Amino acid sequence: MTEIHRFGNIVSPITCHAWNKDRTQIALSPNNHEVHIYHRSGSEWKLLDTLNQHDLRVMGIDWAPNTNRIVTCAADRNAYVWTQDKENKWKPTLVLLRINRAATCVKWSPLENKFAVGSGARLISVCYFESENDWWVSKHIKKPIRSTVTCLDWHPNNVLLAAGSTDFKVRVFSAYIKDIEKTPEATPWGSKMPLGQLMVEFVNSEGGGGWVHSVSFCPDGNKVCWVAHDSSINMADATAGSVVHKLRTEYLPFLSCTWINNKSVIAAGHSCIPIMYSVDGNGQPIFVAKLDASQKKESGGLSAMRMFHSLDKQARVETSDTNLDSIHQNAITCLCIHSGTREKVLKISTSGADGQLVIWDLNTLERSIQNMRID
Amino acid sequence: MSATLKPYLTAVRHTLTAAMCLDNFSSQVVERHNKPEVEVRCSKELLLTPVVISRNEKEKVLIESSVNSIRISIAVKQADEIEKILCKKFMRFMMMRAENFIVLRRKPMEGYDISFLITNFHTEQMYKHKLVDFVIHFMEEIDKEISEMKLAVNARARIVSEEFLKRF
Amino acid sequence: MAKNTSSSAFRKIDIDQYSEDNFKEDETDSGVAVGPDENEVNSLLQKGKIVDALKMVLNNAPFGIKNPQIKENAFNLTLRVLLAIKPSQIEEMVNSLDMDMLDTLMKYVYKGFEYPSEGSSMHLLLWHEKIYNVGGVGCIVRVLSDTRRV
Repeated sequence: MTEIHRFGNIVSPITCHAWNKDRTQIALSPNNHEVHIYHRSGSEWKLLDTLNQHDLRVMGIDWAPNTNRIVTCAADRNAYVWTQDKENKWKPTLVLLRINRAATCVKWSPLENKFAVGSGARLISVCYFESENDWWVSKHIKKPIRSTVTCLDWHPNNVLLAAGSTDFKVRVFSAYIKDIEKTPEATPWGSKMPLGQLMVEFVNSEGGGGWVHSVSFCPDGNKVCWVAHDSSINMADATAGSVVHKLRTEYLPFLSCTWINNKSVIAAGHSCIPIMYSVDGNGQPIFVAKLDASQKKESGGLSAMRMFHSLDKQARVETSDTNLDSIHQNAITCLCIHSGTREKVLKISTSGADGQLVIWDLNTLERSIQNMRID
Repeated sequence: MSATLKPYLTAVRHTLTAAMCLDNFSSQVVERHNKPEVEVRCSKELLLTPVVISRNEKEKVLIESSVNSIRISIAVKQADEIEKILCKKFMRFMMMRAENFIVLRRKPMEGYDISFLITNFHTEQMYKHKLVDFVIHFMEEIDKEISEMKLAVNARARIVSEEFLKRF
Repeated sequence: MAKNTSSSAFRKIDIDQYSEDNFKEDETDSGVAVGPDENEVNSLLQKGKIVDALKMVLNNAPFGIKNPQIKENAFNLTLRVLLAIKPSQIEEMVNSLDMDMLDTLMKYVYKGFEYPSEGSSMHLLLWHEKIYNVGGVGCIVRVLSDTRRV
């Protein structure tokens, strides 16, 4: 069923989180310059290590499962790659990002030989390890980004990179580094892929508007999905002419989205509830179900007088309403795949501004929620 | 509460809920800074359309929002001179103590009586729905407070004049 | 020392505006849309086809137009249609519109709040409530986030 976790006495928001390969450890940032590593034993979480190298708020964490390396980036314009030494202590290596504004997001490529960092300097740094100099260096993708890069996602072929930004656009770039990899094969997104090549550009809405908050490639890499600040969820398929299909929802904007198979997406954000959408035959996203089926809590001793009083005074129905009806009590900022493969996700984890981490088991939810079907 | 106040407050509540979706966002103009974009107004793509909700010509709320902050300005009903003075004094009293109110702005926007500035740091520390409640509660109380003060001033003036006129 | 060193005007120059990387708005002035046809809307109103009149003004809302005169005409016309609809009919009207039209309608309601006239705000508050009931909070989010104004 749905598991709810808290970490020690952290009440501050969890900025972002990332899992290790076997999901026994989690790296998270409690909304400051530190990254905490917790180990799970039963229902308890034990603090193993504190990564204390950044001097401003950490903005992104990603844990490479196979090579067991953590990359973190922060508002202090730096990124570090962390590796474990013999005593299992994490040691940082500075990455030369060559940016002069905050780093906002970071993602390992599927083969874990490079990673990409988005930043407020209106560019993306694609970083790889240069063995002769023994450090991480970066190459920039700059044009035509006109505002802060807010989110990134890698195509499964390890070359293409989707980036969303606050200039209301989603772009797919080539992040091919010729020094370390061989020439990529053609994909539906295009065939020529020098570094920085703009494969396709999507505008979030015709007249502009709506910062892009999260972008995700589907497991086969042909479709891309993004969520934006106009409360919309959008999909485009490269094999179907890259036409944008937009669904305007009645909720608050989503902040995070991920594909759970080739047909379905889970999105979560300011509404505090993860919601599942799927693609219909035309490529249009359609609503499937809310994952959080929490009921309104019955408050004891509710008097009609108090109810009318509250309705009259503050124009709302609830009386004791410090708690929201959902599990998360504040915006969900981070959504990760917990278990399963990219083609068939079994569990997802969400964390948010309320300091909670929630693990959602999709199979049991599918059985308990009406109309929820995962193919 | 009068029949016209409720739909007004409901509309303000829904608009605030929609507008108060704030993120942590570092400045893309100044290095290593994090400023409320609604105040600095350096990058126009980070600002949202400002909206006004009005109850009548005099009473209205201006809601300006941006990627990491929101500014709410309220114009309070002032029917006559005495209400104007009371409102001015009362707002001045509160704004001088703005740090105790946390979300209060020290200066109102032009054309309005009082302004709030809510940033992502506030929404991270406090429940968002409670912040909305606070603003609504404030709007509701302020009318009542001013009419009560007006009554008190009038009552006091009556007693003073009665006492004064007894001498003749 | 030069005389003009005491001048601080140079501090006020916004040098960032010359940066090439800055965000620029896409040109959206299509120039062809001219807004709703006033005569047609009037005739629909007179015939009592209020739903058609409402749909007409919403579908022809001038978004990407730079000309303020066209926008103002369209706004005044829309406001007249909105105020002509009786409170009891609002719900039925709102239910007959799709999501795109609701978003546009919500934009006009907020614009109407900016220019209050006798009794108009009360009526618009009713509209606001009914649109919210159908379109949810997403409708308001889109009024805020859309850069195309009516």
